[in-house]
Amino acid sequence: MRQCLFIAALLMLSFMAQAAERRYELYVDGMACPYCAYGIEKKIKAIDGVDKSSVEIKLNDGLVIFEADTPEPMDQASLKTLINDSGFTLRQFQVQPSTLKQE
Amino acid sequence: MATKIHPLMFAVLFAATFMSYPASAHDPVFGLGPHTLYKGGVELHAGGHSEKSGNASEKEAELQFKYGLTSDWVIGVGVPYEFGDDEGSHRGSTSLSTKYRFWRQDRFAVQESMALLGRVIFDNGEEQAGVERNGNDYLLGITYGYEGRKWYRWASVRHRFNAETSTGMQRPDVWLVDFVGGIRFSPTEYHEPDWVWMLELNGELIENVTQGLGSVKKQLGGNQWFLSPGLMWTHRNFAFKAGVQLPLIDDLSADQEQDDYRAKIELEWHL
Repeated sequence: MRQCLFIAALLMLSFMAQAAERRYELYVDGMACPYCAYGIEKKIKAIDGVDKSSVEIKLNDGLVIFEADTPEPMDQASLKTLINDSGFTLRQFQVQPSTLKQE
Repeated sequence: MATKIHPLMFAVLFAATFMSYPASAHDPVFGLGPHTLYKGGVELHAGGHSEKSGNASEKEAELQFKYGLTSDWVIGVGVPYEFGDDEGSHRGSTSLSTKYRFWRQDRFAVQESMALLGRVIFDNGEEQAGVERNGNDYLLGITYGYEGRKWYRWASVRHRFNAETSTGMQRPDVWLVDFVGGIRFSPTEYHEPDWVWMLELNGELIENVTQGLGSVKKQLGGNQWFLSPGLMWTHRNFAFKAGVQLPLIDDLSADQEQDDYRAKIELEWHL
Protein backbone atom coordinates (compact mmCIF):
# COMPACT_ATOMS: atom_id res chain seq x y z
CA MET A 1 0.00 0.00 0.00
CA ARG A 2 2.81 2.40 0.95
CA GLN A 3 4.57 1.60 -2.30
CA CYS A 4 1.42 2.45 -4.24
CA LEU A 5 1.11 5.78 -2.48
CA PHE A 6 4.76 6.54 -3.08
CA ILE A 7 4.43 5.76 -6.80
CA ALA A 8 1.28 7.89 -7.02
CA ALA A 9 3.08 10.79 -5.36
CA LEU A 10 6.01 10.41 -7.73
CA LEU A 11 3.66 10.40 -10.70
CA MET A 12 1.99 13.57 -9.46
CA LEU A 13 5.30 15.30 -8.94
CA SER A 14 6.44 14.13 -12.36
CA PHE A 15 3.28 15.54 -13.95
CA MET A 16 3.78 18.89 -12.22
CA ALA A 17 7.38 19.02 -13.38
CA GLN A 18 6.36 18.34 -16.98
CA ALA A 19 3.83 21.18 -16.80
CA ALA A 20 6.81 23.49 -16.27
CA GLU A 21 4.56 26.39 -15.37
CA ARG A 22 6.61 29.50 -14.89
CA ARG A 23 5.84 32.87 -13.41
CA TYR A 24 7.09 35.86 -15.35
CA GLU A 25 7.59 39.27 -13.84
CA LEU A 26 8.23 41.95 -16.44
CA TYR A 27 9.34 45.43 -15.48
CA VAL A 28 7.93 47.63 -18.22
CA ASP A 29 8.77 51.26 -18.89
CA GLY A 30 6.27 53.69 -20.37
CA MET A 31 3.11 52.30 -18.76
CA ALA A 32 1.28 55.47 -17.84
CA CYS A 33 -2.35 54.74 -18.58
CA PRO A 34 -4.56 51.66 -18.24
CA TYR A 35 -6.21 52.13 -21.63
CA CYS A 36 -2.85 52.00 -23.39
CA ALA A 37 -1.70 48.99 -21.36
CA TYR A 38 -4.54 46.88 -22.74
CA GLY A 39 -2.26 45.94 -25.66
CA ILE A 40 0.04 44.14 -23.22
CA GLU A 41 -2.81 42.10 -21.78
CA LYS A 42 -4.02 41.20 -25.24
CA LYS A 43 -0.56 40.20 -26.51
CA ILE A 44 0.22 38.06 -23.48
CA LYS A 45 -3.13 36.28 -23.54
CA ALA A 46 -2.53 35.39 -27.19
CA ILE A 47 0.53 33.30 -26.29
CA ASP A 48 -0.03 29.54 -26.24
CA GLY A 49 0.28 28.16 -22.75
CA VAL A 50 -0.40 31.36 -20.87
CA ASP A 51 -2.81 31.06 -17.96
CA LYS A 52 -5.16 33.88 -18.93
CA SER A 53 -6.43 34.34 -15.40
CA SER A 54 -2.91 34.94 -14.13
CA VAL A 55 -2.22 38.06 -16.20
CA GLU A 56 -1.84 41.00 -13.88
CA ILE A 57 -0.81 44.55 -14.71
CA LYS A 58 0.36 46.79 -11.88
CA LEU A 59 0.59 50.24 -13.35
CA ASN A 60 1.85 51.95 -10.23
CA ASP A 61 4.72 49.46 -9.99
CA GLY A 62 5.43 49.28 -13.73
CA LEU A 63 5.03 45.54 -13.43
CA VAL A 64 3.38 42.87 -15.58
CA ILE A 65 2.94 39.37 -14.14
CA PHE A 66 1.73 36.20 -15.80
CA GLU A 67 2.14 32.45 -15.66
CA ALA A 68 2.78 30.30 -18.67
CA ASP A 69 3.14 26.62 -19.33
CA THR A 70 5.55 26.42 -22.24
CA PRO A 71 8.08 23.68 -23.14
CA GLU A 72 10.92 26.19 -22.90
CA PRO A 73 11.02 29.41 -20.94
CA MET A 74 10.40 32.53 -23.01
CA ASP A 75 13.66 34.31 -23.67
CA GLN A 76 14.56 37.97 -23.42
CA ALA A 77 14.28 38.59 -27.17
CA SER A 78 10.72 37.25 -27.43
CA LEU A 79 9.59 39.12 -24.32
CA LYS A 80 11.20 42.32 -25.56
CA THR A 81 9.41 41.98 -28.91
CA LEU A 82 6.12 41.26 -27.17
CA ILE A 83 6.35 44.40 -25.04
CA ASN A 84 7.62 46.53 -27.91
CA ASP A 85 4.73 45.38 -30.13
CA SER A 86 2.43 46.52 -27.34
CA GLY A 87 3.98 49.99 -27.48
CA PHE A 88 6.27 49.89 -24.45
CA THR A 89 9.82 49.01 -23.40
CA LEU A 90 10.92 45.98 -21.41
CA ARG A 91 13.48 47.08 -18.81
CA GLN A 92 14.10 43.75 -17.11
CA PHE A 93 12.34 40.52 -16.21
CA GLN A 94 12.43 37.55 -13.89
CA VAL A 95 11.30 33.99 -14.50
CA GLN A 96 10.70 31.53 -11.72
CA PRO A 97 8.77 28.33 -11.23
CA SER A 98 5.16 29.02 -10.59
CA THR A 99 4.36 28.84 -6.91
CA LEU A 100 0.63 29.19 -7.08
CA LYS A 101 -0.01 25.93 -8.98
CA GLN A 102 2.37 23.88 -6.85
CA GLU A 103 0.93 24.88 -3.51
CA MET B 1 -20.14 87.74 -64.17
CA ALA B 2 -20.26 87.62 -60.43
CA THR B 3 -20.45 84.21 -58.81
CA LYS B 4 -23.74 83.79 -56.97
CA ILE B 5 -23.19 82.77 -53.38
CA HIS B 6 -25.92 81.02 -51.45
CA PRO B 7 -26.03 82.16 -47.81
CA LEU B 8 -25.84 78.56 -46.70
CA MET B 9 -22.72 78.11 -48.73
CA PHE B 10 -20.59 79.80 -46.14
CA ALA B 11 -21.92 77.64 -43.35
CA VAL B 12 -21.31 74.53 -45.42
CA LEU B 13 -17.83 75.59 -46.45
CA PHE B 14 -17.03 76.50 -42.92
CA ALA B 15 -18.18 73.15 -41.60
CA ALA B 16 -16.34 71.27 -44.33
CA THR B 17 -13.22 73.24 -43.58
CA PHE B 18 -13.07 72.76 -39.85
CA MET B 19 -14.87 69.57 -38.99
CA SER B 20 -13.63 65.99 -39.28
CA TYR B 21 -10.43 66.39 -37.35
CA PRO B 22 -9.04 63.11 -36.14
CA ALA B 23 -8.85 62.53 -32.43
CA SER B 24 -7.94 59.12 -31.28
CA ALA B 25 -7.36 56.94 -28.28
CA HIS B 26 -5.56 58.53 -25.34
CA ASP B 27 -5.16 61.86 -27.12
CA PRO B 28 -6.75 65.26 -26.46
CA VAL B 29 -10.39 65.78 -27.47
CA PHE B 30 -9.78 68.59 -29.98
CA GLY B 31 -6.02 68.57 -30.34
CA LEU B 32 -3.73 65.89 -31.66
CA GLY B 33 -1.61 63.46 -29.66
CA PRO B 34 1.01 60.89 -30.63
CA HIS B 35 -0.87 57.84 -29.35
CA THR B 36 -0.91 54.82 -31.65
CA LEU B 37 -2.31 51.31 -31.37
CA TYR B 38 -0.48 48.13 -30.43
CA LYS B 39 0.63 45.95 -33.34
CA GLY B 40 -2.34 44.12 -34.83
CA GLY B 41 -4.74 46.14 -32.69
CA VAL B 42 -8.12 47.28 -33.94
CA GLU B 43 -9.89 50.43 -32.81
CA LEU B 44 -13.57 51.13 -33.35
CA HIS B 45 -14.43 54.75 -32.86
CA ALA B 46 -17.80 56.49 -32.83
CA GLY B 47 -17.89 60.23 -32.39
CA GLY B 48 -20.39 63.08 -32.35
CA HIS B 49 -19.59 66.72 -33.06
CA SER B 50 -21.89 69.68 -32.65
CA GLU B 51 -21.21 73.32 -33.33
CA LYS B 52 -23.20 76.53 -33.29
CA SER B 53 -22.33 79.68 -35.14
CA GLY B 54 -24.93 82.45 -34.91
CA ASN B 55 -28.20 81.01 -36.17
CA ALA B 56 -26.51 78.15 -37.97
CA SER B 57 -25.76 74.87 -36.30
CA GLU B 58 -24.14 71.69 -37.52
CA LYS B 59 -24.03 68.20 -36.14
CA GLU B 60 -21.84 65.41 -37.34
CA ALA B 61 -21.40 61.77 -36.37
CA GLU B 62 -18.41 59.79 -37.49
CA LEU B 63 -17.43 56.14 -37.46
CA GLN B 64 -13.75 55.34 -37.66
CA PHE B 65 -11.89 52.08 -37.96
CA LYS B 66 -8.18 51.97 -37.18
CA TYR B 67 -5.57 49.27 -37.38
CA GLY B 68 -2.11 49.06 -35.84
CA LEU B 69 0.36 48.02 -38.52
CA THR B 70 3.10 48.19 -35.91
CA SER B 71 3.09 49.60 -32.41
CA ASP B 72 4.21 52.92 -33.92
CA TRP B 73 2.18 53.06 -37.11
CA VAL B 74 -1.59 53.18 -37.36
CA ILE B 75 -3.90 53.57 -40.35
CA GLY B 76 -7.60 54.36 -40.35
CA VAL B 77 -10.69 55.11 -42.35
CA GLY B 78 -13.50 57.42 -41.24
CA VAL B 79 -17.02 57.89 -42.54
CA PRO B 80 -18.98 60.87 -41.20
CA TYR B 81 -22.65 61.57 -41.36
CA GLU B 82 -23.80 65.17 -41.19
CA PHE B 83 -27.05 66.54 -39.81
CA GLY B 84 -27.91 70.05 -40.98
CA ASP B 85 -30.74 72.36 -39.95
CA ASP B 86 -31.85 73.23 -43.47
CA GLU B 87 -30.01 70.80 -45.66
CA GLY B 88 -31.21 67.59 -44.11
CA SER B 89 -28.94 64.68 -43.33
CA HIS B 90 -26.39 63.22 -45.65
CA ARG B 91 -23.18 61.27 -45.74
CA GLY B 92 -20.04 63.33 -45.27
CA SER B 93 -16.65 62.94 -46.86
CA THR B 94 -14.76 59.70 -46.32
CA SER B 95 -11.25 60.09 -44.99
CA LEU B 96 -8.12 57.95 -44.79
CA SER B 97 -5.59 58.69 -42.09
CA THR B 98 -2.23 57.49 -40.89
CA LYS B 99 -0.09 58.31 -37.89
CA TYR B 100 3.52 57.32 -37.39
CA ARG B 101 5.24 57.64 -34.03
CA PHE B 102 8.82 58.36 -34.97
CA TRP B 103 10.22 58.93 -31.49
CA ARG B 104 9.42 57.31 -28.18
CA GLN B 105 11.13 57.60 -24.81
CA ASP B 106 9.90 55.22 -22.12
CA ARG B 107 10.74 55.61 -18.47
CA PHE B 108 9.18 54.25 -15.32
CA ALA B 109 5.45 55.15 -15.60
CA VAL B 110 6.19 57.84 -18.18
CA GLN B 111 5.99 57.83 -21.94
CA GLU B 112 7.12 60.69 -24.14
CA SER B 113 6.70 60.49 -27.88
CA MET B 114 6.33 62.37 -31.13
CA ALA B 115 4.33 61.45 -34.19
CA LEU B 116 3.50 62.58 -37.69
CA LEU B 117 -0.04 62.58 -38.98
CA GLY B 118 -1.41 62.53 -42.51
CA ARG B 119 -5.03 62.56 -43.59
CA VAL B 120 -6.88 62.73 -46.87
CA ILE B 121 -10.49 63.89 -46.84
CA PHE B 122 -11.98 62.68 -50.09
CA ASP B 123 -14.23 64.71 -52.28
CA ASN B 124 -17.06 62.21 -52.08
CA GLY B 125 -19.50 63.79 -49.65
CA GLU B 126 -22.94 64.67 -50.88
CA GLU B 127 -23.45 68.04 -52.45
CA GLN B 128 -24.88 70.77 -50.24
CA ALA B 129 -26.57 74.00 -51.29
CA GLY B 130 -25.14 73.62 -54.75
CA VAL B 131 -21.62 73.58 -53.37
CA GLU B 132 -19.19 70.75 -53.70
CA ARG B 133 -15.47 70.57 -53.43
CA ASN B 134 -13.32 70.26 -56.48
CA GLY B 135 -10.75 67.86 -55.10
CA ASN B 136 -9.55 66.35 -51.84
CA ASP B 137 -8.51 68.14 -48.67
CA TYR B 138 -5.27 67.16 -46.96
CA LEU B 139 -4.17 67.39 -43.36
CA LEU B 140 -0.56 67.12 -42.17
CA GLY B 141 0.54 67.40 -38.58
CA ILE B 142 3.21 66.81 -36.00
CA THR B 143 2.64 66.23 -32.31
CA TYR B 144 4.49 65.75 -29.04
CA GLY B 145 3.01 64.07 -25.99
CA TYR B 146 4.02 63.41 -22.38
CA GLU B 147 2.02 60.85 -20.46
CA GLY B 148 2.69 60.24 -16.80
CA ARG B 149 0.73 58.64 -13.99
CA LYS B 150 -0.40 62.08 -12.89
CA TRP B 151 0.39 64.73 -15.48
CA TYR B 152 -0.20 64.91 -19.20
CA ARG B 153 0.87 67.47 -21.75
CA TRP B 154 0.60 67.63 -25.49
CA ALA B 155 1.50 70.10 -28.22
CA SER B 156 0.68 69.84 -31.89
CA VAL B 157 0.67 71.73 -35.16
CA ARG B 158 -1.44 70.77 -38.16
CA HIS B 159 -1.98 72.29 -41.53
CA ARG B 160 -5.09 71.67 -43.55
CA PHE B 161 -4.86 72.20 -47.30
CA ASN B 162 -8.37 72.84 -48.57
CA ALA B 163 -9.35 72.30 -52.17
CA GLU B 164 -11.36 75.00 -53.89
CA THR B 165 -15.04 74.56 -54.61
CA SER B 166 -16.47 73.26 -57.85
CA THR B 167 -17.56 76.83 -58.60
CA GLY B 168 -13.93 77.93 -58.42
CA MET B 169 -14.08 79.67 -55.06
CA GLN B 170 -11.06 79.38 -52.85
CA ARG B 171 -11.43 77.76 -49.44
CA PRO B 172 -8.89 79.03 -46.93
CA ASP B 173 -6.12 76.75 -45.68
CA VAL B 174 -5.86 76.52 -41.92
CA TRP B 175 -3.05 76.16 -39.39
CA LEU B 176 -4.13 74.47 -36.18
CA VAL B 177 -2.06 74.88 -33.05
CA ASP B 178 -2.85 73.05 -29.81
CA PHE B 179 -1.44 73.14 -26.30
CA VAL B 180 -3.00 70.73 -23.84
CA GLY B 181 -2.51 69.87 -20.19
CA GLY B 182 -4.09 66.98 -18.34
CA ILE B 183 -4.21 65.58 -14.85
CA ARG B 184 -5.17 62.28 -13.32
CA PHE B 185 -6.05 63.12 -9.73
CA SER B 186 -6.05 59.53 -8.58
CA PRO B 187 -3.46 57.06 -9.95
CA THR B 188 -5.86 54.20 -10.53
CA GLU B 189 -4.78 50.66 -11.24
CA TYR B 190 -5.32 48.69 -14.43
CA HIS B 191 -8.78 47.28 -13.78
CA GLU B 192 -10.20 50.44 -12.26
CA PRO B 193 -12.09 53.15 -14.14
CA ASP B 194 -9.65 55.91 -14.98
CA TRP B 195 -10.31 59.66 -15.26
CA VAL B 196 -8.09 62.26 -16.88
CA TRP B 197 -9.18 65.91 -16.93
CA MET B 198 -7.85 68.15 -19.65
CA LEU B 199 -7.68 71.80 -20.59
CA GLU B 200 -6.85 72.65 -24.17
CA LEU B 201 -5.83 75.88 -25.85
CA ASN B 202 -6.69 75.51 -29.53
CA GLY B 203 -5.67 78.06 -32.13
CA GLU B 204 -6.96 78.28 -35.68
CA LEU B 205 -5.00 80.49 -38.04
CA ILE B 206 -7.10 80.81 -41.16
CA GLU B 207 -5.66 81.97 -44.45
CA ASN B 208 -7.08 85.28 -45.67
CA VAL B 209 -8.96 84.79 -48.93
CA THR B 210 -11.55 86.64 -50.96
CA GLN B 211 -14.53 84.73 -52.26
CA GLY B 212 -16.86 85.90 -54.99
CA LEU B 213 -16.84 89.14 -56.96
CA GLY B 214 -18.41 92.60 -56.85
CA SER B 215 -21.22 93.13 -54.38
CA VAL B 216 -21.13 89.51 -53.21
CA LYS B 217 -17.43 89.54 -52.44
CA LYS B 218 -16.60 87.99 -49.09
CA GLN B 219 -13.48 88.32 -46.98
CA LEU B 220 -12.62 85.18 -45.07
CA GLY B 221 -9.78 84.31 -42.73
CA GLY B 222 -8.20 85.46 -39.50
CA ASN B 223 -7.26 83.92 -36.21
CA GLN B 224 -9.29 82.49 -33.39
CA TRP B 225 -8.37 80.81 -30.13
CA PHE B 226 -10.48 78.48 -28.03
CA LEU B 227 -10.30 77.26 -24.47
CA SER B 228 -11.52 73.70 -24.24
CA PRO B 229 -12.15 71.78 -21.04
CA GLY B 230 -12.51 68.06 -21.55
CA LEU B 231 -12.30 64.69 -19.90
CA MET B 232 -11.28 61.20 -20.77
CA TRP B 233 -12.77 58.20 -19.00
CA THR B 234 -11.41 54.76 -19.68
CA HIS B 235 -12.01 51.30 -18.38
CA ARG B 236 -9.62 48.64 -19.66
CA ASN B 237 -10.20 48.67 -23.45
CA PHE B 238 -13.13 51.08 -23.54
CA ALA B 239 -12.83 54.87 -23.64
CA PHE B 240 -15.17 57.82 -23.48
CA LYS B 241 -14.05 61.37 -24.23
CA ALA B 242 -15.95 64.63 -24.20
CA GLY B 243 -15.12 68.29 -24.44
CA VAL B 244 -16.46 71.74 -25.21
CA GLN B 245 -14.57 74.32 -27.24
CA LEU B 246 -15.32 77.89 -26.17
CA PRO B 247 -14.13 80.97 -28.08
CA LEU B 248 -11.49 82.90 -26.21
CA ILE B 249 -10.23 85.60 -28.56
CA ASP B 250 -10.47 86.15 -32.28
CA ASP B 251 -9.28 88.42 -35.01
CA LEU B 252 -11.45 87.33 -37.91
CA SER B 253 -12.22 88.94 -41.24
CA ALA B 254 -15.61 90.59 -41.61
CA ASP B 255 -17.32 87.67 -43.29
CA GLN B 256 -15.61 84.85 -41.46
CA GLU B 257 -18.07 82.90 -39.35
CA GLN B 258 -17.36 82.98 -35.64
CA ASP B 259 -18.23 79.94 -33.55
CA ASP B 260 -20.31 80.22 -30.41
CA TYR B 261 -19.17 76.80 -29.29
CA ARG B 262 -18.21 73.35 -30.46
CA ALA B 263 -18.79 70.14 -28.53
CA LYS B 264 -17.49 66.66 -29.06
CA ILE B 265 -18.26 63.23 -27.66
CA GLU B 266 -16.30 60.11 -28.56
CA LEU B 267 -16.52 56.44 -27.75
CA GLU B 268 -13.69 54.04 -28.49
CA TRP B 269 -13.19 50.35 -28.20
CA HIS B 270 -9.87 48.56 -28.60
CA LEU B 271 -10.10 44.99 -29.85
